[in-house]
Formats: sequence, structure tokens, C-alpha cells
Amino acid sequence: MKSTLLIALIAVMIGAGPACRRAIVSTPDVQVVSGQTITLDANASVWNPVPVHLSKQIQQDLVEPRLMEASTQEVQIQAISDGNLIAFRIEWLDDTQDDLPGPARFMDGVAVQLPAKIDPNVPAPQMGETGKSVEISYWRADWQAVVDGRADDITSIYPNAKPDHYPFNAKPLENNPDAQAQAAQRYSPARALGNGREGPRTEPVEDLIAEGPGTLAPGPNAFSKGKGVRTRTGWAVVITRPLPAGFSKESPSQIAFAVWQGSHDETGARKMRSGWVNLLMK
Amino acid sequence: MARVYNWQLGREMSYWYPESRASKQFAAVFDINKCIACQTCTLACKTTWTSGKGQEYMLWNNVESKPYGFYPLAWDLKLLEMLDGQKWNEGGEKPVYEGSTIFESAPAGERVMGWRPEDEDYAYPNVGEDDCAGGVDGGANIFETHDMAWFYYLARICNHCTYPGCLASCPRGSIYKRPEDGIVLVDQGRCRGYQECVRGCPYKKVFFNMMTGTSEKCIACYPKMEQGIQPQCFVNCIGKIRMAGFINPPDKANPENPIDYLVHVKKVALPLFPQFGLEPNVYYIPPIHVPTSFTKQMFGPGVDAAVKTYREAAANKDDDLTGLLGLFGSSEMLMERWKRVGDKIIGLDAAGKQIVDVPLKEPVVERPAFDKLYQITRTNCP
Ligand code: SF4
Repeated sequence: MKSTLLIALIAVMIGAGPACRRAIVSTPDVQVVSGQTITLDANASVWNPVPVHLSKQIQQDLVEPRLMEASTQEVQIQAISDGNLIAFRIEWLDDTQDDLPGPARFMDGVAVQLPAKIDPNVPAPQMGETGKSVEISYWRADWQAVVDGRADDITSIYPNAKPDHYPFNAKPLENNPDAQAQAAQRYSPARALGNGREGPRTEPVEDLIAEGPGTLAPGPNAFSKGKGVRTRTGWAVVITRPLPAGFSKESPSQIAFAVWQGSHDETGARKMRSGWVNLLMK
Repeated sequence: MARVYNWQLGREMSYWYPESRASKQFAAVFDINKCIACQTCTLACKTTWTSGKGQEYMLWNNVESKPYGFYPLAWDLKLLEMLDGQKWNEGGEKPVYEGSTIFESAPAGERVMGWRPEDEDYAYPNVGEDDCAGGVDGGANIFETHDMAWFYYLARICNHCTYPGCLASCPRGSIYKRPEDGIVLVDQGRCRGYQECVRGCPYKKVFFNMMTGTSEKCIACYPKMEQGIQPQCFVNCIGKIRMAGFINPPDKANPENPIDYLVHVKKVALPLFPQFGLEPNVYYIPPIHVPTSFTKQMFGPGVDAAVKTYREAAANKDDDLTGLLGLFGSSEMLMERWKRVGDKIIGLDAAGKQIVDVPLKEPVVERPAFDKLYQITRTNCP
């Protein structure tokens, strides 16, 4: 009886969830299926008929620090558009959920990179090059956790932490939220400068531009949105952004992907990345 | 990698960027013999700079008891184990380091050789480091002097290195060294929290802040330094072990500069682990009661001579050296120049204006047990 139940359960599990799809037939390009309704839901049915491109990932081994040991071999990519926005559904295997920041702890993440301009003379696939910039939409697991409700507090990382006192909790500031915020900011220079690497945020995705390794900077527009969920075998993340300028059926573009596994100490340049792949509107 | 000259090694070495020395280089001398581990420096820094969220376990200044104290755990031992033989050639006119630095030992794919402490390594600063390793049975006593009947307090801040490991490690150029004073800073607007600097600083003096997601470090209280005032951990030091200033390379040493005098002229103040190759700029007068077989690894081959000079200064009537040590902690202002006039030691600012003078010898004041003024007998507390 027990074994029948177990088999039934396994059958249900196999039937459900995006992680257990049938063997994937990969398209050589990333094909954007147009006329779709954009969603941030990685489990929405809109994705079911969308062709999958299996992006082969290689180690970042051009600039130091390099990734010396390969991790994520491939990433499944799907793309849809409603004529204004483009949405990517990105799924990969990662058996650990790394979303708690801390010393020597790194976050799972994924990034989509597009040339800033459609041009036959494409920028270098590793972060672009001087005069030929790239646009990057970058999703991170810890940002997702914060957007999903994790408190901006040390006890959300170390539940047993008991800080005795913060200056912004001082008695004289008790009834003055502005003064409290100012006092807190005094000890958080990165936040004071608007460099929101951690802390409250409304999007788990960041818009960036680059003109070569080491030049990554906030993009002029904060137009990307996203949502990532754990699958049984890793992550499924949807990233949306406006269609690249000039991108159409007649005028294809290029796209590249990078993925970070926190448990493998991947951060910054230590990542698995792809080369350019054609991005085609269907 | 570029070739640069590191005078502490007595040779050229490889570094990520070409040599470009700051026009002035922040430097300090800490006299270990005077430190009482009261941690006032640690608290002065903590309350000034690191009282925010995510900085709970961050100590830009810390004091640890050597040989068993570390913050973070085993910060020096881990790297010493990774580094090759660390051999010095002492046969020539000046010692030359024959081992490899952290830059020269960088494994394939890395900018420097390093490692990253984990959260537990930061979790117990000073806990247990002075305690007995085991229980003491009733009636137990010590018949002989223990082989290692010594320890000393090592106060540490960022060394504002001439060749910073943190700066070399950052793939984004988010760390910079100020050309005007050599202070090393993390640009909090540019840092993306990769923690490469935490990995690359052998002294583990860059810390990851999990609430801002960026790395933070000692800023040598640059807003004070810009006003000619010494940093918080210096002016609050109870033991008066510290003096802040600027150092010149040895070929430009100026004996009127107190740091140059102690480091280059008297050679009593030595860099911390010079073999790492960073040309660190906090110089230590080594503890004179510790076997130099131990301190030599920590402060380089100059230890024996430094201990001898310091030990014999009073007996040799070296009034300049003993007098200058008395200037430590005598003013909160930066004393970029000094001089001795008879039995007075004078601290001056960069323009030559007197800041303070201290006597070579404090006068002895005897207080009679009976206070005639108040008609009371005073006793000293035990
Ligand atoms: S001590 Fe560490 S943090 Fe300070 S400058 Fe040197 S390498 Fe950088």
C-alpha cells in the first residue's frame, strides 16, 4: 500500500513543476514569441509552448579573478514579448539556495546582457568594450528574499543576534523618525550614497551598463523587473525589460547570459557566462 | 603585473599597478611595550564609525593578545601557512627578502594569494585568548617558569599600505589610495560587495557589511587628519602607545619627522609582517620581553637590533629616543616635526609651529602623608 502511494506521489511530482519537463529540444537561437501577455510568474502556462534555448555556460576566464572550476553547465532560456516588453524565463540547476548575505557567503544570481545598440559590429561578449556598451539586467537571490518580505534587520540573518544598542535607537530620537533615519544613514555610507547592495528594495533586479570588465555601473533607466522562485532542482527566474531599441523581426539582436552559484563562491567576475547568441523575434 | 620597489623587502617585487607613492604617506608608530589592552582605542573607533546595522562584529581597530589571540580567528596563521619559507638574506648590508609576497604567490586566476574568514571567525573577539587552556587541579602550582611565560598585546588598524592587497584585489577599482596622504579607502558608492578585498587583505582589515552589502574599512579618521588632528584610536589611547604622522621612504628620511626618526634613523619601529609585501605603514616597537625567534617572523629581521636599542636607550642616555617616546599621546594634534632642546621635547606642526612640549623626565613630586592645608592625613589606596 505504502509503495503504491509513493509511486503515485512520484508520478504527481514528475507531472508538476517546471523542473521536470520532458527532454528539452534546444533551439540554436533565443526565439522571442511575440503577442504574449507578459508575466513575472515562472510557473505560468504562457511559457509551456515557448521554445527553449539551452545556453551553454563557460567559466569566466578572461580577467582576474577568474572562475577556475566550472559549475553551472547550462541555463534554459525562454523569451516572450507583448510588443513593448520582453520577458525572459531562465531556469538552472542549483541545489543550494544562497540568499543570506554575510562574510564569505555569496548570492545566487543571473544576468541577461544585450548590446546597447543593434549593430553588426557587436561588442565583446564579456561585458562589452569601450565605445560599445552593453545593457545588463541582473537578478539576485538575496534581493528576491528582501522583496518577498525578509526584514532589513540583522536578526533576519542571525536569528539569535542581540545587538545591545544602535545610535538611531537612542532615547532622544525616539519620536523623530527623520532623525532616526539620519542617524542610521550616518553609519551606512553605501546607503547614503544610494548604493543599495542590500537593504530595502522594491525590485530583485538591477539595471546596469558596462563598457568592458570592471566598468559595470548603474544604468540610466531602472526598467527591469523580475521574480525568482525556487524549483525542486534550482531556480526559475523571470526578468522583464523593454524590448531593445530597434529590435524587430527584421532587425535581430544578440544576447548573453551569466549565472552565479553562491555556494561555489561565485561573485562578480567569478561566474559562468555564455557567448553571444542570436536573439530573434518570432 | 608591474615591478615596484618595496624598501621593507630590500628589493623590487611584482604588484598589480605601477609604483606611485602618495605625496605624503599616513603612518603610525605603536609602542607595544606600553599597551595595556584596555580596548579604549577599539571603543573609540567603534562608537565613532561602526555602530550601525551590519557593523556589529566589525572592529576597524582591535587589540589581540599574542600569541593566542586573533581577530578574525587565525588571520595571520592561515596566511603564514600558505606563504612559502619566508626567508630573509641577512648576509648583505641590509636584509633582503628571498621568499615570495602575496602578489608573487598569487595562484592562477587570482590577483593575490588570500583567503576569506567566515562569520564564525569574527564571532569571538578576545574571548578566551588569555585563559588557561585547561582546568587547574586543586593544589596545583608551577615549579618552574613556563617556556612560553610571555604574551603581548597587538593593537591593529588598517596599515594604509603602500601596496595595498585590498586595492590590488578589487576588479572594479573601487578601492583607492589618496594621493595627498596615502589613506586607503573603499568607495562606498562604487563597491559591489564582491569581498575580493576581504580575501586579499592579509591583515583582514576590510570587513563585509551584510546590511549594506559593501565592504568597509578603517578610514584613518581622514576628516580629522585633514584638520591636522590624530585619529580617534590615537587620541583616546590610555597607554599613550600611539603616534600618527607621515613617513618618507628611507632615502628621503627626515630625522626631524618623528615617524622617520623612529623607523629609519633609530630603526626601533618595524612593519607588521613585511614579508607579505604590502609595505604596511603602521610600525611597531616590538615587545622587548618576547623571544625574538617569535617576533622576527612578525616584524622582520630588524627585531634584535630594535629591542636592543629600545632596551638600552635609558642606560645609554639616548635622550632623543627616550624623549621622543614621551611625546606620544601628549597632544591630539598631528606632530609632523619634533626637536629636543635640552631636557624639553617639542612637538611641532608641519609649518614648524610648536604644539606641545614635554619634559625629558617628569619631575618627582612628593606628597606628604599629612595635608597641612586641609589638616588631614591622606593614605594611598592599596
Ligand atoms: S591593511 Fe589591508 S585594508 Fe589596509 S590598506 Fe593594507 S591591504 Fe588594504
